[in-house]
Amino acid sequence: MKTVKMRARILAVVVALLASSLAARAAFKLPAPEKIVLKNGLTVYYMKSADLPLVTFQMSLRGAGTAAEPAEVEGVAGMTAALLTKGTARLGADALAEAVDVMGALLMFSSAEEYASASAQSLAEHFPKLMEIAADCLISPSFADEEFAKERKTRLDGLKAMKDNPGAAVRAYFRKAYFGAHPFGRLASGTETSLAKMTAADVRAFFKKTYHPANAVAAVVGGIDKAKLVPLLEATIGRWSPGGAAPTAPAVPPLPKPAGRKLVLIDKPDATQAYWVLGAPGYKQGDPISGPAQVMNTLFGGRFTSWLSTELRIKRGWTYGANSGLQSWGTGGLFTASSYTKNDTIGEMLKLTFELLKKARSAGFAPEEVESARNYILGQFPPTIETIASKAATYVRLAFYGLGFDFLDGYLAKVQSATPAEAKDVAVKLIPDADFVLVVVGKASEIKTQLDKLGTWTVKKITDPDF
Amino acid sequence: MLKKLVFSVLAVLASASLLAAAFRKEDIKVAKLDNGLKILIYEDHAIPNVALYTFFHVGSRNERTGITGVSHFIEHMMFNGSGKFGPGEFDRRMEFAGGSNNAFTGDDMTGYTDWFPAAALEPMMAMEADRLQGLLFDPKVLESERGVVASERRMSVENNNDAILGENVRATAIMAHPYHWDVIGWMSDIQSWKRDDILAYYKTYYAPNNAVLILVGDVERAKALDLIKKYYGGIPAGPPPPPVTTVEPPQQGPKQVLVRKEAQAPSFTIVFHAPACTSPDYRPLSILESALFNGESSRLYKRLVRNEQLAIGVGGGMAETIDPQLFTIDVRPRPGADLAKIEAAVDDELAKVKADGITEKEFQKALNEVRTAFYGELQTIAGKAGQLGHYEIYYGGFEKLFTVMDDYAAIKLPQVKDAARRIFTENNKTVGRLIPEGGSK
Repeated sequence: MKTVKMRARILAVVVALLASSLAARAAFKLPAPEKIVLKNGLTVYYMKSADLPLVTFQMSLRGAGTAAEPAEVEGVAGMTAALLTKGTARLGADALAEAVDVMGALLMFSSAEEYASASAQSLAEHFPKLMEIAADCLISPSFADEEFAKERKTRLDGLKAMKDNPGAAVRAYFRKAYFGAHPFGRLASGTETSLAKMTAADVRAFFKKTYHPANAVAAVVGGIDKAKLVPLLEATIGRWSPGGAAPTAPAVPPLPKPAGRKLVLIDKPDATQAYWVLGAPGYKQGDPISGPAQVMNTLFGGRFTSWLSTELRIKRGWTYGANSGLQSWGTGGLFTASSYTKNDTIGEMLKLTFELLKKARSAGFAPEEVESARNYILGQFPPTIETIASKAATYVRLAFYGLGFDFLDGYLAKVQSATPAEAKDVAVKLIPDADFVLVVVGKASEIKTQLDKLGTWTVKKITDPDF
Repeated sequence: MLKKLVFSVLAVLASASLLAAAFRKEDIKVAKLDNGLKILIYEDHAIPNVALYTFFHVGSRNERTGITGVSHFIEHMMFNGSGKFGPGEFDRRMEFAGGSNNAFTGDDMTGYTDWFPAAALEPMMAMEADRLQGLLFDPKVLESERGVVASERRMSVENNNDAILGENVRATAIMAHPYHWDVIGWMSDIQSWKRDDILAYYKTYYAPNNAVLILVGDVERAKALDLIKKYYGGIPAGPPPPPVTTVEPPQQGPKQVLVRKEAQAPSFTIVFHAPACTSPDYRPLSILESALFNGESSRLYKRLVRNEQLAIGVGGGMAETIDPQLFTIDVRPRPGADLAKIEAAVDDELAKVKADGITEKEFQKALNEVRTAFYGELQTIAGKAGQLGHYEIYYGGFEKLFTVMDDYAAIKLPQVKDAARRIFTENNKTVGRLIPEGGSK
C-alpha cells in the first residue's frame, strides 16, 4: 500500500518537473562561435571559455582521410597523420615528443574516412608553445625514412596483436565485409599487405597532395582572449601556406547497399565468446531524419533499457553489452547492432536479435517509449558539449559538414516533437529486413552449426593475413 | 614574435589564477546526517544538469575466499530492484526523466554515478535512498545477472591475454591480502555465490555510515540538503563494517609466472610491491610513473618501443589503493620479441632511476600533467563530483583535492630516487610472461 502511494507521488513529481525542465532545456544551446579567417585561408571558430586555464585546438582537413588514399596504399592517410609528429625541420622526433610531453600537453594527428584531424590541448600558459609545434608539424614535417620504418613495423605488429582481441578485431572485419572495395573499406591502420608495400615516398606524396589550409576548418575553445589568440594563430598555424590552389577532395562514391544477407565467420579457435556486428545503410550528416532516427535508435539499442539490452542482457544474462548505433558521413551512413555471448548461446542470441529487428519494423514503439527516448536525448544533451574539447569538436563537425551552428537546435526540436509514427517510419527505413551484413568472430567448431541456420557463411581464419 | 608570445604567457598566467578560483574548497557545502551519511554539495549552474554520486567504502578488498567478486555483483544488483522500485524500475524511471547512470567497483570502493536534468533531483534521490537499504535480490533476477557478470568476465579476462596474465601475476605477487584476486572474482565463485552470503555482505557495507553522497550541478544547496534529509534521514546506521586486518607479508625472493596460451603476440608484465596511496612514497612514485610511461618521450617508451623496437607499447604505474598494492610495468611485446631482452631493458632503466633519480625536466613534466588533469576534471560536473568523492574515499577528506598541486610541488627531487630504491628490489619483483602456443608466431 505504502509502495503504491510512494510511486504515485514520484510519478507526479517527474511529470510536473519535466514540464519546467523542458523549458530550461530549450534555453540551453550550443553558443555560436566567432569566425576568424587567417591570412592563409584557414577558418578558425573561436569561443572563450573562461572557467579554467585550459585551451584546446581542433581541426579537420577535408580530403586527407582514408577515402582520399590511392587504393594500393591503404593506410597511407593514417601513416601520414602519425608521422606528422615524428620530426620537423626544427625538432627531431624525440625532441618534439619531449617538448610536448614536458608541458603535460596533448598533440595528435589522426585520420578518419573523409578527413585528417589535428587535436592539441594544454594549460593556457603553454598554448602558444604548443601551437608553434603544431604549426611546425604541418609546415615542415620530416617524414624521415627511419621514422617511417619504425611506424610501419609498429603498425604491422599492432595488427597481429589486435587479432588477439576479438572485440576490436570484429570491427575491422566488419568494415571490410560491409564496404568491400569502397574507399570506406580501408583501415586507417593499413593492412599487412598494404603496409608491406608502402614507402616513405607514398607518405610524402599523400601529404603534398592532400594537406592544405584552405581545405581545413578549425576551432579554438578555452581560456584565451581573442586579442591574444589572433596574433598567436597568425604567427603559428597562419604561417602554414604551402601555396598552390587547394586540392579538390575526391568525391566519395555512394555507400554500398547490401543486397541479401552477407554472412562472414572469422574462426578464432581459442575464443570462449562469439562477437558479432550487423550493419545496414543509415543516413548522411545533417539528414532531417536524424531527430526521429536517434529516438528510434535510443529505444532499439542506444541506452541501457533499450530493447537489445533488455532482451539480451537484462532478461537473459547472455551478455555484458548489447548495443545499436548510427554513424553518418557526408554521403551516407550506417546502422549497426552488436553484442557478444558465450559460444553455446550465439545461435539463440542472433535468432532473438532478428525477432527484435522485425518487431521494430512491424510494430514500432509505444507512445510512452517514444516519450522516454525524447526525454533521454534532451536530458543527456548538455553534458555532450560540456568540455572545451567536445565544444570545439562540435564546432568543427558542424562547420565541416556545412550544417550551421544552429543545427543542433533544430535537431533537438525534432527530437522533442518526434511521434511514435515517425519512430516507426525510421525503423522501417533504417532497420534491415533481408539486406544486411553480419560478421561473427568466434570458435567455428563450437558455433558454426548454430550459425548455419541463418544461411551460408564465408569462413576465414583469424590467422589469415589481412581482414 | 618571441616577445609577443612571452607577453601572452604572462597575461594568461595572471588570468589563470583568477579563473582557478571558480571552484574553491569554501564553496563545498559539507554535512553529515545523524546516521553517518556524509554529504558534499557544490552548486554549479553551467549546464541545467546534476551529477549525483554515491561512493561506498567497499570493494574486493573486503571480500574473502568463496565470495570473490561479490562487491562487483552487488553493484550490478543495485539496478535490479529495491523495496519501492521493482527490478529494472531504477533505469526505466531514470531514463524516462532524461537521466543516465553508470556504476563501478574497484579494489577499495564502489561508486554509483547518476547524471540527469535538474528537475529529476527528487525522484532520483528517492530511488537512490531506497536501494541503499532494501535491495530485493529476487532469485530469478539474481540468476540472470550472474550470467551477465560471467559474460563480463569472459570478455574482460578470458578473451583478453593481457588480463589473463595480469590476473595470474597479481595472484602470484600478492599472497595473503585480498588484493590477491581481481575485482571481477574467480569464475567458480561467480557461478556459486549464494543469495544469503550476498545479502549479508550487502547489509554489512551498504549503510549510510559507510557512504558519501556528492551532489554537483544545477541545484540549490539548502533545498538539496532538505531533500537529502527527507529521503536518507530515516535510514538507520549500520554497525561499523569489520576492518581489513590481513597484511601482505614481505616478499622474500623473485617470483615468476608463465602462461601458455593460443595467441598471436606474447604478453609481458613486471610488478613490484608498492606502498598505499597515503604513504609518503606514493606521490614521488607517481611522479616516477610519469617519467617512465607518459608520452613518447618517456623512458620506457623510448627504450622499448622506439629505440630497441622490442614492444608496440608500454604502460603501467602505481595502484592508488588504501592498502599497499603493486607498481606495474606492462609491456606489449612485438610478436616474436625476445622477452628476456625486454626484461633486461626494464631492469636497466630501473637501475638508472635508482642510481640517478629523475631530471628536473621530468619533474616539471609530471607537475604539468597533474595540473592539466586537475583542471581537465573540473571542466564537467561529473569530473568535479568524481574528484570530490575520490579524495573523500582514498584520502579521508575532499579537502585534500584542493592542495594536490601544492602537495606535488612540495616534493623534493631526491625523494623519487629514494622511493624507487625502496621498491625496485630483486626480492620484491614478480615477472609474468604469456607465451603464444598455436596461432601464428
